Amino acid sequence: MLTIGIDIGSITTKVAVMENGKILGTDVAFTGYNPEKAWTEILERMLAKLGLKESSVDRIVSTGYGRNNVGIAHKKITEILCHAEGAKHFLPKVRCVIDIGGQDSKFIRMDENGSIVDFIMNDKCSAGTGRFLEVMARALEVPLDDFGTMSNKAKKTVRISSMCTVFAESEVISLISHGENRENIIAGIHESIAGRMVSMMGRTGVVKPIVMTGGVAKNIGILSALEKKLGVKLEVPETAQVNGAIGAAILAQNMNDG
Amino acid sequence: MEKFAYFDTGHEFPEEIVMAAGFTPYKILGDVHEPNDPADLYVMNYICPFSRSALTEGLAHSNEWAGIAFCHGCDTTNNQYDIWKRHVKTDFLYWINTPANNNKAAHAFHVHELQRFISHLEKKFNIKISDDKLKEAIKTSNKVKSLLRQLAALRSTKDIPNTDYHAIVKKSVQMPKDKLIIELEATLKDWQSRPKFPAGKVPVLVTGSDISYPEWMEAVEIAGLRIVRDDMSLGERYFAETIPETGNPIEALVNYNSSIPQPPTRLPFEARLDYLWKCLRETKVKGVIYQTLKFCEPHLLDLSYMEEQIKKAGYKLITIEREYTPTIDQQVISRLETFREII
Repeated sequence: MLTIGIDIGSITTKVAVMENGKILGTDVAFTGYNPEKAWTEILERMLAKLGLKESSVDRIVSTGYGRNNVGIAHKKITEILCHAEGAKHFLPKVRCVIDIGGQDSKFIRMDENGSIVDFIMNDKCSAGTGRFLEVMARALEVPLDDFGTMSNKAKKTVRISSMCTVFAESEVISLISHGENRENIIAGIHESIAGRMVSMMGRTGVVKPIVMTGGVAKNIGILSALEKKLGVKLEVPETAQVNGAIGAAILAQNMNDG
Repeated sequence: MEKFAYFDTGHEFPEEIVMAAGFTPYKILGDVHEPNDPADLYVMNYICPFSRSALTEGLAHSNEWAGIAFCHGCDTTNNQYDIWKRHVKTDFLYWINTPANNNKAAHAFHVHELQRFISHLEKKFNIKISDDKLKEAIKTSNKVKSLLRQLAALRSTKDIPNTDYHAIVKKSVQMPKDKLIIELEATLKDWQSRPKFPAGKVPVLVTGSDISYPEWMEAVEIAGLRIVRDDMSLGERYFAETIPETGNPIEALVNYNSSIPQPPTRLPFEARLDYLWKCLRETKVKGVIYQTLKFCEPHLLDLSYMEEQIKKAGYKLITIEREYTPTIDQQVISRLETFREII
């Protein structure tokens, strides 16, 4: 069965094409102002690349903030369920999922059967999210992709105490003006995000193994800050950024099975 | 009948005294659709937005009210009394200090407070609030509460959208009571004839800060969740109990006040939880929504313990801190939908 998962996030739109549980292809594009344009273009590109026609697709499930914009979806499912499903595909015994996305961070706890027992999302605030990192990258004039490697070169971790993205940006600017080096500041930023995430996780309880998904999982600085605070190794799938779309594609198949 | 406005973040204002004085009690609930700029001149915007909205309403509409009374609430709203005294134009602004405790001394204090309120009203408006008038007002109040209880009970068996319930409860604290009773009776007939509880909806209990605008109730509905019980002052707490109709009416009001479900500003803390357990025993729900308005300190302070206890008892619970806005963002809908999916 050919299924497609479309995950429309606040920053990026992700597509995963799967056949009987096997990933055929994934793609990522910026969501921008027009989510409909974003998903239609990325889907067309993906199908063309795989030599497939839309008519040959059995099921489509959409997820993410823009899920209701996907008119052709057979079902719309929230991103929490899709991320949990995607993580299970990567690591069947997974018990917890950390997902740091563009505008929110999520923590999902599952039981031994893989059913979600609890979840927490950050409240309406960009601190501790991908957007927070973007703002900091701009303030430091560093490409976001370099954040991970740069923080590994830090001699010390500077404490960023502001809880708000806007105030944290001011704090970072103050640190720059006091001559603090960028690597140390970036390490502090990662530490601050990790601290926020771990506090949130503590509210539901943490059980191993933990999978980290979402675009921010590619940042080795955040990853190591989280591992240090939690005292456990986090499992990161290569497909971390498109994990929600993969989960949606799997749920599309299960939907038909059910 | 002229409106007499009151600002009570709980549900302890003695409406019956105002009714016996010949006024329509009108609960100030602010308006989420109006910007809070007028109030923000006097109150910083990190203070409870609902209370700022109430001040905005007071600044704009106080000339339509015979008077305004405050009832002891949270620290934020209590401290607003002084701001209102200075900036809201009114001939009568009064503070009723309902006790936080529930013991003999608190009882005597409360009797004294209500008598003092009555004598101030009598003096200001040149009226006599007799025991007979108070008893009559108590009967009217009890009729309203009884009808509201019947309506609220229908939520778990009939198709009553969250916004329908919200609308009728809101009217109950703002409309003239005689007209209200007619409307409640008509609504009861309507609701009794509604279709059965919809199969696709998931029954939940909502607790936390008062929800003063329909849009948030609608968001819960969009997510497929149907509120069949609530623990809110703008809700069941207002009509959960009946006022004694015999004996001294002031004593009756004080006794009533000591029996009603507590808001988070009252002691002992466990009483709130006991009331929740009672609701959960009486009505089968599949989950609990604990929503707090941003900067609502009493509820946010209770949240950790309440969350732990409710989850420990085996209930599915979601906590949401919401903004004071009629625009419901997709993240809130997603969280509520996920909650529905996992329960």
